[in-house]
Amino acid sequence: MLRRFGLSAALACAVAALGGAGPALAQETTVRMWTFLNPTGTSPREVALAKIIDNFEAANPDIDIVVEPQAWDQMTPKFLAAHTSGTAPDVIWVVTDFLGDAINSGSLASLNDLFVKDWSEDQVADRAGPYWDLTNVDGTQHALFTSRNYIAIMYRKDLFAEAGIDPATITTWDKLVEVAKKLTVKDSAGQVSRYGFVQGFSENQADPPLMIPYLVGKGAELFSEDGKANFASPEGVDGLTLQTDLITRHGVMPESAVSWTVDDVYEQFASDRAAMILGASVRVSTLQSQLGKDKVGLMLWPGSGQQEHSPAVMAGWAVGVWSKSQVAEQAGEFVEYMLGPDGDKAWVEIGGQSPGLGSTLDHLGDFANQPGNEYLRVVSTGSAKHGWLAPIEYSIGGYRQILNKAAQNVVVNGADPKQALEEAGAEFNRSHNR
Amino acid sequence: MEDLTPMTATKTARPTTVPFVPIADRRRMLPSVWGLMIAAAFAVLAILNLLPLVWGILTSFKGAQDLFRFPPTLFDFTPTLENYQRVIDSGFLGNMKMSLFYSATTVMATLALALPAAYAFDRFNFPLRGPLFLLVVASIPLSLGAAALLIPNYLYFTRLGLTNAWFTLPLIYTAHQLPMAIWIMKGTIEGIPRELDEAAVADGASHFEVLRYVILPLSKPAFGAAGVLTFVGSWNEFVAGSVMVDSPALRPIQPAIYNFIGFFGREWGPLTASATLAILPILIAFALLGRLIVSGLTKGSVKG
Amino acid sequence: MYSRHAGLTYIVPAFALLGLVLFSPVFYGFWFSLFRIQYGAPTDFIGLGNFLRLLDDPALGGTLTRSTVFTFFAVALTVAIALALAVWIHKLGERRGFAVQMIVIVPWIISTVVATLLFRWVFVNDIGLALSLARWAGFGDIRLLNDPTSAMALLIGVSVWKRIGYAVIILLAGLKSIPEDLEEAARIDGATGWQVFRRITLPLLKTPLLLVTIVLTLSNLNTVETPLVLTGGGPGNATRILPMEIFDRAFVAYDLGSATALALVMFIGNILLVLAYVRLAKWKT
Repeated sequence: MLRRFGLSAALACAVAALGGAGPALAQETTVRMWTFLNPTGTSPREVALAKIIDNFEAANPDIDIVVEPQAWDQMTPKFLAAHTSGTAPDVIWVVTDFLGDAINSGSLASLNDLFVKDWSEDQVADRAGPYWDLTNVDGTQHALFTSRNYIAIMYRKDLFAEAGIDPATITTWDKLVEVAKKLTVKDSAGQVSRYGFVQGFSENQADPPLMIPYLVGKGAELFSEDGKANFASPEGVDGLTLQTDLITRHGVMPESAVSWTVDDVYEQFASDRAAMILGASVRVSTLQSQLGKDKVGLMLWPGSGQQEHSPAVMAGWAVGVWSKSQVAEQAGEFVEYMLGPDGDKAWVEIGGQSPGLGSTLDHLGDFANQPGNEYLRVVSTGSAKHGWLAPIEYSIGGYRQILNKAAQNVVVNGADPKQALEEAGAEFNRSHNR
Repeated sequence: MEDLTPMTATKTARPTTVPFVPIADRRRMLPSVWGLMIAAAFAVLAILNLLPLVWGILTSFKGAQDLFRFPPTLFDFTPTLENYQRVIDSGFLGNMKMSLFYSATTVMATLALALPAAYAFDRFNFPLRGPLFLLVVASIPLSLGAAALLIPNYLYFTRLGLTNAWFTLPLIYTAHQLPMAIWIMKGTIEGIPRELDEAAVADGASHFEVLRYVILPLSKPAFGAAGVLTFVGSWNEFVAGSVMVDSPALRPIQPAIYNFIGFFGREWGPLTASATLAILPILIAFALLGRLIVSGLTKGSVKG
Repeated sequence: MYSRHAGLTYIVPAFALLGLVLFSPVFYGFWFSLFRIQYGAPTDFIGLGNFLRLLDDPALGGTLTRSTVFTFFAVALTVAIALALAVWIHKLGERRGFAVQMIVIVPWIISTVVATLLFRWVFVNDIGLALSLARWAGFGDIRLLNDPTSAMALLIGVSVWKRIGYAVIILLAGLKSIPEDLEEAARIDGATGWQVFRRITLPLLKTPLLLVTIVLTLSNLNTVETPLVLTGGGPGNATRILPMEIFDRAFVAYDLGSATALALVMFIGNILLVLAYVRLAKWKT
């Protein structure tokens, strides 16, 4: 960092000595960005990122954006270490699990100072929603979300049509079970060839399990005020019982699901082995490319009796500017562009992401109405009204893994759900020193 | 026995006359049951080893629609090169070039440092020789378990200004591979008769000249062995490769492969395509050096 | 033989590098572990606080036991099978021997994560080749990862599968170096094949066996990828071993203090283990 800076400073001096030999020799500022996307790659999101960078650099010839791709699961911890050692990049993508750590460590610059202060009220209102609020601590905006993940029910439209079931009829948890049973198919030998509803319970790559929407929908909290686990609430126990009953009582989910990772579940779905899965909005486009655009849909969780739809867990990646960046101004310009109207459009149209600005869907007009793209509206409605974000005031890393382990213990070791959750809570508290 | 290789046959000059035939026969009787069992076990092993490889290579030629057909089929799909195209478009050949550079530099540096050290440990008597050699052996866990200290290591290397440079990974890899290379080479040098050194010294050679003109030519096989193990080790290293360098131009091959097991899912097509490309250099190295490994370690590790 | 310090000059470059890259980071890590670590940065000095916290974890004992069982069986099986294979390959001709050797090393030359993922897909996953065949042949669902014992057995099996190639190569090389006339002489004296192997071959393989045992022990004891990818530690805690525990503390719970402390304790254990091996084998440096 320092060396680069020194180099560009030296270059600047040289330019100055030449007496300003024209704009072609103007000092080029390098802005480093860490993300897990490789802009030379060819996946839709990578292409979108490359396009955004190209457009930005064309409009700002004095700024050079250098992407340094990282392994996604180590990137945020590494960023925090690099913040300590003074070698962090100027722009950083932070995963929700570590967002609290990143903000509380002071590693993220205030975006208000960089560009939000110049925004009109409309511009701010365009971003309103839980993701905006999450990254806004005491009035300071620390980051903006780029990738929004809404984790709800992914389903096979064709199989629903075949069975004559309208997804809109899944209004309660009981109806979810009922539909799942109808969609579970056995072959002539009596073996299940397709399951009604599947989620994975491995601790590796754990998505937030069904019991979270269940218990939050019933008005319970997953964590208590002081950041301790509150897993074993009556609603939590019911939720865990429901999700393990899907295997042991209703037979709509295979027993092997206890060892399945998120990717295993998507592969089962792609193999016609599941009609509904606990699925993330960010995966819809991939599954559509494997199965066909018209076959994959996303729906909200069923209602809880108290709420029309139980809240889905939301996660994703927020982008911020490093607080010690020497080129924070330029980094801010890039972040503003990447997540602004132009950038957002590219993320949606090219990258298949769900929009971050309320106005983007309107600007895109027909795009969201094209067959297969209906899920974009599901995500917008869902994230605005029926979402749950893990708290960031305290660190909660590992909660999904520990909840999944509790489910494994119930299914494999026959543990009592309440006791399994109590043990899980104790382990969570211990691992966070609470 | 009929397969006895020319190499071993000439080396050992076995007695070849009639009286030994029954012995050879008796030898074949006993191992034949044993050999059959091992052959059966090997058949199982071959399936276990080759099936995933074949499946992986086939997958690399499958399009998105053919990836997860159920039940799975081995050959009934439309082969495509799109995965390889994607892998290459993403700059994979550049990563491969970098990794070749890292691995080659590591091999050379490891050998250059290991040979004198092994020579000293075997031929010299200096203070703390025994404990120092034990330290070399005891540092094997440090290299194999280095990932456990990833973040402190990252801070340490950053503070020294050693991260994100062309020499970062060769430096780390060389240190990781060095203990084992010293061990292998020391074994080889043990096998070189000391009379040769002494004769050279009598002719007025310095101990460096002994190393250069006596030991070095005779340890070539160990170079092959330690070299291939070092090559595979640094070629397949992931953790340091993904954490210690940031610049895309310095990125080695393994993080590039793992990029296809991304946040948005594992993409089996490009993943298997890149993994297939990644084993080619290793296979070539083995095909070229396979015999060298055997003869190299031969002298390397037998005599304690 | 030569001057007392001449040898030192030859080992200085190697030790300088080992010191810089392997030894000093351990001391740095130890210093780091004496602090309270917040957001990846050392804050207050707390002495051995991070180490003492390890003692409070009631699950750690079980994890240690599982690591020991896993490593013991993985190493013992790898060495035994690799030795049998090496002996067999040694007796094959050069061409066939080389072909067999290439087949044996396949899992070893593929990076661990990709190899484990492929193994899991082909042999364990119910939409993979093997279980589809089994279902077609009339076997019901086979769920190796659902039972604590079979999951551990599978983890051991995959670790053996992954590392056997390395062991075979080193042992084979050792075998190739044993002068055939030694074995031949013993046979002429009437020794059976087993006796020759037991009395002549095995003792001469001592150094390669020691090298293989040490490297296998340490690589099994420190593997994160294999259990993480294969089982994720489950079901329950059945396949959760120490390196996973360190990984989770560092990258999931983000508790770098206790992760570093645990890693250092493990390093010390590893080094003692190596020294114990060397001592037990009565191996002379």
